[in-house]
Amino acid sequence: MKQFIARRIGYSLLSLFLLSVTIFLFVRVTGDPMTLLVEPGARPEDIENMRHQFGLDQPLWVQYWLFVSSFFTGDLGQSFYYRTPVLELYFQRLPNSLLLAAVAMALSLVIGIPSGILAAVRVGGFWDGFGKTFALLGLSLPQFWVGLVLILFFSVYLGWLPSSGSGGIAHLLMPAFTLGWYFAAAHMRLTRSSMLEVLGSEYIKLARLKGLPEALVIGKHALKNALIPVITLAGINLVVMINVAVVVETVFAWPGIGRLLYEGVTFRDFPVVQCVVVIGGSMIILVNLLVDLLYAIIDPRIRLES
Amino acid sequence: MTVTTPPLDAAATAAAPAGRTYKLWRLNGFPLIPVLILLFIALVAIFADFLAPYDPQIGSLARRFRPPAWETGGSMAHLLGTDHVGRDVLSRLIFGARVSMIVGLTAVLVAGGIGTLLGIVSGYLGGWVDQVVMRVTDTWLALPALTFAIFLAAIVGPSEFNIIAILGGIYWTRYARVVRSEVLSLKQREFVRLAVVAGCSKSLIMRRHILPNVINSAVVLATLMLGVVIVTEASLSFLGVGVPPPKPAWGLMMADGKKGLMVGYWWLTVFPGICIMLMVLSANLLGDWLRVKLDPQLRQL
Amino acid sequence: MASRSFLTTRRSVLALSTAAMIGAHRHAAAAVPKDELRVGAHVSLAPTWFDPAETSGIITPFMLLYAMHDAIMKAMPGNAMAPCLAESCTMATDGLSYALALRKGVHFHNGEEMTAEDVKFSLERYRGAASNSLKERVARIDIQDPYRLTIRLNDPWPDFLTFYASATGAGWIVPKRYVEQVGEDGFKKAPVGAGPYRFVSFTPGVELVCEAFDGYWRKKPSIRRLVFKVIPDEATRLAALQRGEIDIAYSIRGELADELVRTAGLTLKPAVGSAPFWLYFPEQWDPQSPWHDKRVRQAASLALDLETMNQALTLGHSRLTGSVFPENFEFFWQPPRPVYNPVAASKLLAEAGLARGFDAGEYFCDTSYANIAEVVLNNLREVGIRVKLRPLERAAFFKAYSEKKLKNIVQGASGAFGNCATRAEAFVAKGGTYAYGSYPDIDALFAEQAVQMDLAKRTAILQRLQQLVHEKAIYAPIWQLAFLSGVGPRVGQSGFGLIKGFVYTAPYEDLTLKGQG
Repeated sequence: MKQFIARRIGYSLLSLFLLSVTIFLFVRVTGDPMTLLVEPGARPEDIENMRHQFGLDQPLWVQYWLFVSSFFTGDLGQSFYYRTPVLELYFQRLPNSLLLAAVAMALSLVIGIPSGILAAVRVGGFWDGFGKTFALLGLSLPQFWVGLVLILFFSVYLGWLPSSGSGGIAHLLMPAFTLGWYFAAAHMRLTRSSMLEVLGSEYIKLARLKGLPEALVIGKHALKNALIPVITLAGINLVVMINVAVVVETVFAWPGIGRLLYEGVTFRDFPVVQCVVVIGGSMIILVNLLVDLLYAIIDPRIRLES
Repeated sequence: MTVTTPPLDAAATAAAPAGRTYKLWRLNGFPLIPVLILLFIALVAIFADFLAPYDPQIGSLARRFRPPAWETGGSMAHLLGTDHVGRDVLSRLIFGARVSMIVGLTAVLVAGGIGTLLGIVSGYLGGWVDQVVMRVTDTWLALPALTFAIFLAAIVGPSEFNIIAILGGIYWTRYARVVRSEVLSLKQREFVRLAVVAGCSKSLIMRRHILPNVINSAVVLATLMLGVVIVTEASLSFLGVGVPPPKPAWGLMMADGKKGLMVGYWWLTVFPGICIMLMVLSANLLGDWLRVKLDPQLRQL
Repeated sequence: MASRSFLTTRRSVLALSTAAMIGAHRHAAAAVPKDELRVGAHVSLAPTWFDPAETSGIITPFMLLYAMHDAIMKAMPGNAMAPCLAESCTMATDGLSYALALRKGVHFHNGEEMTAEDVKFSLERYRGAASNSLKERVARIDIQDPYRLTIRLNDPWPDFLTFYASATGAGWIVPKRYVEQVGEDGFKKAPVGAGPYRFVSFTPGVELVCEAFDGYWRKKPSIRRLVFKVIPDEATRLAALQRGEIDIAYSIRGELADELVRTAGLTLKPAVGSAPFWLYFPEQWDPQSPWHDKRVRQAASLALDLETMNQALTLGHSRLTGSVFPENFEFFWQPPRPVYNPVAASKLLAEAGLARGFDAGEYFCDTSYANIAEVVLNNLREVGIRVKLRPLERAAFFKAYSEKKLKNIVQGASGAFGNCATRAEAFVAKGGTYAYGSYPDIDALFAEQAVQMDLAKRTAILQRLQQLVHEKAIYAPIWQLAFLSGVGPRVGQSGFGLIKGFVYTAPYEDLTLKGQG
């Protein structure tokens, strides 16, 4: 067990390392990094100073060390535009993204799990077909299109909902639905296949043989086991959602970190871009690690298999 | 995204009664309409110069914001209306098909090429090569594709070529993963072992024996990836870091049209959106079918 | 059963969302507190704009400077250089010094009184655009008493006041003791000035909140609170205005401006700034280039259908001055009105040997103004000048422009304060930041006016200079951009158009809400 944990943590550390190397290399490998690292319009003397500060006149591994050690001191640089530490900006906006992701996740589970169950229980029926179409659309439609169409209907034609900005529930509904649809589709599919698998298992056959009422079989025994992979996926997806919301946040002008990333790119504010990417990637690596470790604690087969 | 989604049909075809497998868009299970749609888009892209009634980049201000022909104020001269600079929407859609096709297909090929190659090499050779490739793959898969793409676009700047390179450079990881696991199981098969015993060189084995057998998975993945790549490209264009104006790209048309939406100029966003949707849906349906058809064991893609 | 629970869950979700929508609808109507003015800003507010020492030559920082700070002299309604914190500013007869007499009893937001120390400090700490010029030419600053000081120059400089009092933030006064106490970064986090509104809070990318400063020397502002909300997306900004979430929305263009005009209760306020737009031909000094021939450049100018463009993009409010110099600037010379004549343009091209048009390469522009570029591109193509659009993001565009890296055609613009001489310096004269070449006769005129202290003589020289710029077709002028903003029903005096050449609402102390004073 300990060996498994140690190995798994080791892999994550390695991934984090590779992530930092990737970001580091990409920034430096393409032309003159100073065009990215220094604010556009800086004076030549300032550029020279910054060049020295970043250690660009030193060997690559020294630069990398400077790069990584700055992370440990919590210094991910300063935004060119706002002149405040990027980390501060990031954490200012993070709660907004969390809120959006939480509501989107709730929607995706509320829609995805029941429809997945229904589709599995009544395979080939109307709900199955409906669910499949819903899922297909959710996985295929670009988020910005869904968002724009929703704005067209609910804001422009019907006037029910505000078209953008942050605020109360009304402001949340459309962006959360747009963000959540893709994941609702994924959760639906997973629920359905997981449910089908469980329903075909020995355990359930036994329960049926015992004469237990169908409702109990499905509702209690099957559901419990079928939902485990879905919940784990949902957990990971919550973190993924926070990081892929850039399009939704831009369409609906929602002030989260996705919007921050977009602003960073539009304003050529590279420290912001770098910060969002670094934290985003690390977040996902860590949540994957957590989920794997939890799984190992719960399910001994996994420990033994590896 | 890194979400693995099980296909819609694998379990269904097993459990459904015989008559139920005929859906609207299928003929004996073959996704006829999606394929036709994709072919149609490809043809439009190839023959764009002949099909488009106007130059997609020229318009006249006097004719701006004309609605589609069937609305009041529209005319047959501009079937699908005009945009904010007076350019014909239909012509831009047609040429946009070319951009989408080129970027989509090329990126998928590039990603597929790199990914398959690395997958084979890493799967077959094993050892530290395998470890390195797998670690990199896992790390890059952790980063959401769109975020990574935006990051790279911020560095190298947007242009058609850069976008293809970026998309190729991000999506190869998905191929590598799948191909590698294929290779791992192939390695144990008789004919490969025989080849080893017969003294074939590693590169020969990889080329002659392994590669043809992983092509199936690669193709399936390619069709599935096409949809994803196109959506990513459209999203990048929408955010302003994709194909730069005034080249007609569907995602860009939607970004330009967003302002008009408020004022009721719906055709600027709805038509390009429908095009993207058709292309992506078709690619996904085709990919789903291929996945089930070519090898049921690929269910976990 | 599973299906029943599914339906109940769905029903409750449906019920919740309906309730939310109804609630939201009612909520939206009662949006803004009575004594507050909400402004929807079109750009994200940068903390450097809170500090007059960092003005970078663009006009946007002044949106905030007019609210929170005050200056020795600044543009006010009816006076391009009205004395504010100074009661008078007198130039010595030899032109080597300027004596300032300060207004007494002016207080900063933190209660300190403004003295000559603060004025000296503000000028010395200025490090924004043109700070080099100021540092080189100002010899020293002598303080006679707390309310009088003299600025001494090394040489007579006819444009000193233009630089000091209108083009830069050097004449905007900040409290010396406070700045020294909190430091530069601290000042940007909590600025203190002498303006009609004091800083309350700033959330980057979201909003800036200010409160009326009752001790403002000029008058007590009638609106209690001023909130700048950052809404960079144009459609969102208009929607916010329509829903009453903001009272003023900056920068609403094109079809959205049409929509605004059609909406009852909203008013469109155009304000023509000091931003002429033009096409520049960097290759006109290269004999190999087709642009070397004056006729080709004139053809480009004749090909532009400016009236239609004006109507479409800015609802006809932009000024077709025919000049690349702002018409509200000192020393302006009015050229003949621009002509749209594509036939004549084609004829000129034919005379220049390019009857079938030519491939002119790339058309560089700032992405924010790609909408203008797309239209101009069309016009050029119609006479046979074929170009490919190459939009560059703003900072990158100006960097490449100033580093002389652009070719073929450049669509440029400048909204910086100053006068025609400062514009000529940057865009026409030899060695200018954005001048890729020069003509000897123009250079001679420029050198002459630089030392000419007599106003009438100087005006004549500068007007002749502008005439030559026009005759040589160095530029193809487009227009002087009208900045369109929307005003909601709550606003009484919106402040648009009060100060000539300034596009934002000002002076803030004069703004009123309906039902108030």
